[in-house]
Amino acid sequence: MKIKELIINGKTAKFPIIQGGMGIRISLGKLAKACMNSGIVATISAAQIGFLRKGFKDNPMKENLIALSEEISNIRENNPDGILGVNLMHAMNNYQEFAEFLSKQDIDFIISGAGLPVDLPEYIKNTKVKGAFIVSSARAARLLLKSWDRRHHFMPEFIVCEGPLAGGHLGFTKDDFDSGNVEDLESIVRTTKEIIKPFEEKYNKQIPIIAAGGINDGHDIASILKSGADGVQMATRFIASDECDASDEYKDMIIKSKEEDIVRVESPAGLPGRAIRNYLTNILETKRIKPKYCVNCLKTCNKSNIPYCITEQLGNSSNGDNKGLIFTGAKAYLITKIESVDEIVKRLIAECKIDLSFN
Amino acid sequence: MVFEKVKELIAVELGIEEETVTLESDLSDDLGADSLDAIELIMAIEEEFEVEISDSEAQKIKRVNDIVSFLENV
Ligand SMILES: Cc1cc2nc3c(=O)[nH]c(=O)nc-3n(C[C@H](O)[C@H](O)[C@H](O)COP(=O)(O)O)c2cc1C
Repeated sequence: MKIKELIINGKTAKFPIIQGGMGIRISLGKLAKACMNSGIVATISAAQIGFLRKGFKDNPMKENLIALSEEISNIRENNPDGILGVNLMHAMNNYQEFAEFLSKQDIDFIISGAGLPVDLPEYIKNTKVKGAFIVSSARAARLLLKSWDRRHHFMPEFIVCEGPLAGGHLGFTKDDFDSGNVEDLESIVRTTKEIIKPFEEKYNKQIPIIAAGGINDGHDIASILKSGADGVQMATRFIASDECDASDEYKDMIIKSKEEDIVRVESPAGLPGRAIRNYLTNILETKRIKPKYCVNCLKTCNKSNIPYCITEQLGNSSNGDNKGLIFTGAKAYLITKIESVDEIVKRLIAECKIDLSFN
Repeated sequence: MVFEKVKELIAVELGIEEETVTLESDLSDDLGADSLDAIELIMAIEEEFEVEISDSEAQKIKRVNDIVSFLENV
């Protein structure tokens, strides 16, 4: 078996690896440029990207859009041809406005998870920007395909299947985790591969299935490719890179973490998230932290009764404050040093090739 | 009439007894529908009644009655 290329929006990535979008302000231009230069697909996260801008608290939407277009033009100046996407969580307020804005930018795709982006095609249909979504079950993939097909006659450019070991917000509820009702990544990939077949036939188009969540080295990549995935999305591994836009303090938390430091926390988004145990997660075991302000970021946040504010805490940690929320994937404890993106990608590919050639 | 049909559809889609479905039932709180169930149900209703329910209309649907009155008004 050989490593295949990944084609998105008519462009070819040498290796079928997508660097996953990370908010708030963890995956931005610097990481994106390095990833594209190493032959993989880059994603920046739109989540409160304007957080550090002066007027953010008064006019978050305006500052977010300015920050997005600045980030994108900065990337494109340096790398006009690489494959670049923007991660736009469906749970965000003003989803439509963001999507319509992004559809006119020089990017290759918008990818949405954290909710079911039934309406995404409406905003990008007649533009140069493609659409993709992140799901944690074949059932969600089937419903989205059915809905996109029926309403918009539109298919995703690819689908990311995210398993229970991922970072950030998770596609399984606390009850699912507690009762063990979580499907592993391999099974999600296999079942999703099945349900896309009729849509691929109808549109005479291949829909690559990209596996995400807990993929840490080239052996993990080889193993999921053998299970039928067309590529992988990796996020946590790239936090520990020289080029990642996260603060040095954040990167340090990742490389120093041990297995028992990685915990699940409830999030105001209504889904559990995965984070590194620290000051914040310790407090949250018994108390709530009253938000200092509200920028009305999430559709799914009920505002009263929340344990903490997700924008405030992720924003703090992106700004170098390790008392904020440190999102991570489940395998961070396996990462022990910070390297350049190029070194990371080269090793991933070398390891993957060895495994694939032995079988 | 419409209610009878809707009740049957909901029971089938959510795998629950028809008797538990009333006009006042909240799809999520009372009948246990999650976000995937909700989309599936909307699509089943569109098929059965040959109507189109836009995303913004779909978001307004909370109770069984919201579906019934939508269908009675198209
Ligand atoms: C710090 C961090 C922030 C993330 N932010 C987002 C986000 O804004 N939107 C999103 O859809 N996924 C987000 N994710 C999920 C990743 O894009 C990715 O799918 C997932 O973490 C893959 O698992 P891995 O980290 O084990 O490789 C985030 C993950 C991490 C670790």
